[in-house]
Amino acid sequence: MIEFAGFELPIWYKGIVPECKAVRNSVGIFDVSHMGRALISGEDAAGFLDYVTTNDVAALDTGRGHYSVMCNEKGGIIDDIIVCRLTEKQYLMVFNAGNREKDLDWLNRNAKRYNVEIQHVSGQISMFAVQGPNARHILQEICNENVSEIPRFGGRYVHLGDIRGFVTRTGYTGEDGFEIFTLDSPVEQPSRAVTVWNAILNHGMKFDIQPCGLGARDVLRLEAGMCLYGNDITESTTPLQARLGFVVKSAKTEFIGRDVLIKEKAEGAKEVRVGLKALDPGIPRAECDILRDTKVVGKVTSGTFSPTTNQGIAMGYVPKEYSKIGENVMIRVRDRSLRAEVTGFPFYDTSKYGWQRTGK
Amino acid sequence: MPLKVNDYEVPEGLYYTKEHEWIKMEGNNCRIGVTDYAQKSLHEIVFVDLPKAGAKVTQSQSLGSVESVKAVADVFAPVSGEVKETNMKLADTPELVNQQPYGDGWIVVVEPASLDDEIKGLLDSKGYADFLKTQLK
Repeated sequence: MIEFAGFELPIWYKGIVPECKAVRNSVGIFDVSHMGRALISGEDAAGFLDYVTTNDVAALDTGRGHYSVMCNEKGGIIDDIIVCRLTEKQYLMVFNAGNREKDLDWLNRNAKRYNVEIQHVSGQISMFAVQGPNARHILQEICNENVSEIPRFGGRYVHLGDIRGFVTRTGYTGEDGFEIFTLDSPVEQPSRAVTVWNAILNHGMKFDIQPCGLGARDVLRLEAGMCLYGNDITESTTPLQARLGFVVKSAKTEFIGRDVLIKEKAEGAKEVRVGLKALDPGIPRAECDILRDTKVVGKVTSGTFSPTTNQGIAMGYVPKEYSKIGENVMIRVRDRSLRAEVTGFPFYDTSKYGWQRTGK
Repeated sequence: MPLKVNDYEVPEGLYYTKEHEWIKMEGNNCRIGVTDYAQKSLHEIVFVDLPKAGAKVTQSQSLGSVESVKAVADVFAPVSGEVKETNMKLADTPELVNQQPYGDGWIVVVEPASLDDEIKGLLDSKGYADFLKTQLK
């Protein structure tokens, strides 16, 4: 167990490797109740969210959602988030555990001219992630709605047995899967959440469901090419540098950071986030130097051994000229240098793994 | 019967360090590995960084590393000397360190340069077992 943003969380239950394999091949369940959750409602909810986030909230129909970021005036990422329109006038925002206070402060500070209510519900609504190609079969057995109809990033209110909640088709693994929010389940009295957790485990037994800890969560998101806030993205990185330009909608007339981001979008970011796979045996780790012709050109921001591709993988920032897929660099790992190649995301073969895989 | 501290095996007849390496005297050479406690603490070992044969190592300095998915642990040289042999099997099957930490999961063989002096700083199995007990409190 380790402390993470004030929570005691297991790094692994059975082991990081079997937990990763369970999620890629069948299904795993994560308690992610440490994540920040807010419900944002009112007449101006969409307008407010369009101002504080970079993606196009007005374009979201009820039941739809998207990945997004909140930026400061300089275009630096305050946090990366999920926004989902649960009902006509109510949006769910999911943000990082370590940024709870900062994000709520930022939201409240920028809400003054809008008719919105920001309800911080992290302490009242539990959150589990059920991830993997078999996730939908398990959820379907305990859920009254047809979960296969929920689009990726979409979400809706549901009944889980006689317990009320909502589910979103989201996750941090690259696999198909859901995040399940149990209402009226305060941290001090989580009986409803425990009931839901146990129901998923029971129905998941036939799929060898595996409870997964923080270790597998970090490896799976890295294999999928997803950013970890604090490592891969911070207030000093912009979404364009982080290769998250797809969440910056420059057609929107007003949002925080717009001027800087539009300029950078036009000029192109000078340093960008890349995927790196090690060609030599060894495991790149955060903070390792990235070299090109013996010159340090960047730093690894996350690195791990990938049980799916069976090699060292990493992400980091390099100057634009070295960022093309197939470029070769060296990564300094302790006193050795590993040959590495710039790759796209995700790291795994998308015809075999991930939510877009064929044949499942 | 090997000594046991909680779940951790501490075979007799070996020397140990407080950094959880074991040393087996084999003629003029020392076979070196990491202890049961070390491998269980790291869990699933996925990579072992080995020195090259012929490399000079210095007591208490890192000679390589044993790595799990999320963690790196240095292997410190229990004695100074020259690396005579490395366990090449670990390149493809690093999990041998988990499976047989005192057997096929050995890491290097070192020809010691000043064993007589350096051996005084090592623990015997009882000494290591007692040390482990204090660590587990």
